[in-house]
Amino acid sequence: MVVVARSRSRNGWFVWFSLLFALLLSVAPLPEFMAVGRPLWLPLLIAYWLLAAPQWIGMTRVWLLGLAADVLYGTPLGQNALVLALIVFMLLSLHQRLRMFPVWQQSLVLLVVFGLAQLVQLWLNTLTGNRPPTLLFLFPALVSALLWPWVFTIMRWFSRLLRVH
Amino acid sequence: MRLLVLTVLSVALMVVDARFDTLKPLRGNLAQVITPFYWLAERPLRLWEGVSQQFSRRDELIAENEKLKAEALLLQRRLQKLATLTEQNVRLRELLNSAALVDEQVLVSELIGVDPNPFTHRILIDKGEKDGVFLGQPVLDALGLMGQVVEVMPYTARVLLLTDTTHSIPVQVNRNGLRAIAVGTGNPESLELRFVADTADIKEGDLLVSSGLGQRFPAGYPVATVKEVIHDSGQPFAVVRAVPTARLNRSRYLLLVFSDRRSPEERAVDAALAQEAADREAAQGGAAAPTPDAANPSGPAATPPANPLAAPATQASPPTAGRSAAANPAAPSAAHPAAAPATQASPSAAGRAAAANPAAPSAAHPPTAPATQASPAAAGRSAATNSTAPAPAAAPAGGAR
Repeated sequence: MVVVARSRSRNGWFVWFSLLFALLLSVAPLPEFMAVGRPLWLPLLIAYWLLAAPQWIGMTRVWLLGLAADVLYGTPLGQNALVLALIVFMLLSLHQRLRMFPVWQQSLVLLVVFGLAQLVQLWLNTLTGNRPPTLLFLFPALVSALLWPWVFTIMRWFSRLLRVH
Repeated sequence: MRLLVLTVLSVALMVVDARFDTLKPLRGNLAQVITPFYWLAERPLRLWEGVSQQFSRRDELIAENEKLKAEALLLQRRLQKLATLTEQNVRLRELLNSAALVDEQVLVSELIGVDPNPFTHRILIDKGEKDGVFLGQPVLDALGLMGQVVEVMPYTARVLLLTDTTHSIPVQVNRNGLRAIAVGTGNPESLELRFVADTADIKEGDLLVSSGLGQRFPAGYPVATVKEVIHDSGQPFAVVRAVPTARLNRSRYLLLVFSDRRSPEERAVDAALAQEAADREAAQGGAAAPTPDAANPSGPAATPPANPLAAPATQASPPTAGRSAAANPAAPSAAHPAAAPATQASPSAAGRAAAANPAAPSAAHPPTAPATQASPAAAGRSAATNSTAPAPAAAPAGGAR
């Protein structure tokens, strides 16, 4: 990090702004053939901030954000909240190692984490009767993992610019 | 530890949300804050559309204008025929003793968002509780049924489309009335008919219309056209695939249908009341001078000199009396929605008019308004149709009595 502990945690608004922007992206209209592979923007951003500035983002906050996502998507309240909380839990338990990994390796770990999250999502969806007939539900996890290096780079650039940490 | 608490909390929330209504207000309030996201997310796209429209070329616009004019002309021609057809339809239905199919009220709404999950077919529209949208309300586009409202928020509502895997709709083949259930497949271009016997008379190109049997969708709206029928001797039922007529993934403007929400009992009571009032007035007015049936070339079996002015069941000429007597026994029983036909202005039309418009009962009064009395459709409908309908309508209706 370029800026070393000189400033206390500042620019926390940017964290929340980026998360809300991710929420926005997650409902942005996409052409039909791309909709199947819609990246998991919210988990991606949460993963980034957990690695970069964990003091801004805790499991409870993410859970609340998940509730907002539920209202937005029209899923039963708590579904996305639970899934996001699980993602945070997995990432926190991998936190120490994940920070040391090169980006492509982080990508691999995230692929697994997101895949598990999608699986939980699938189970919860099945309870309300929406079961996709194929394995396509894993596709977003793959797309998100492939996007991770780009997200990571762009977000690091932004957070250095704004000195978020 | 915290994960445990949150997990338990989420599960509890999910169960409560799925089973009870207690969280609905909270959801509604949150939704009010959050749904602008959909609007915001669409902005760039809309902006682009706006810009490209600004710069569309003049000759393109002219061409489009011409096309629209031609289309309007075609539609207007059809509309001209519609007046007489509706009239005829109401009359025939009257003979059949069934409730008249009346124009439902509709509300235009705009699509504001699509569910981000590609496996569920749900959309968000810009009308909500404040506009009178209710749970289970049918939604149409210009070409057919689209789906039903599944979640109502203060200013928005969520619509489940026909093709969602959790959606089914009772339909019938327009050609012969064969009933079936059309189930969503998760593909926006395809519906599947379940449990259609291998020998059933259904073939490629058949139009499927809603049958109204589920008590949720109004009857008679186009739903889909049959694309293929596969007879596989290994399968117990024929595999029937159909393409929805509505443009489920392309329509921007949708129609919310407000059908008559009175129960059949209420409708029957209203009809009976209107009937009684009309009878009373007819009795007071006495038998009006029997006017000869206005010479009516088109009147089919219109021979009986039925008196179009005063034709309560009791004093009608013999043949008509026989007919109305046959129809009448059902009248007192409240279970029959349109049980009191054949005598005065169509009961359902009159009853509806009575509910909708205080002026109507007097219009149904025989001596005052012969034209309206004779033409039930006109009685129930607006004055606009009145101007065109009476002339052709009055004569055959008189014959029917």
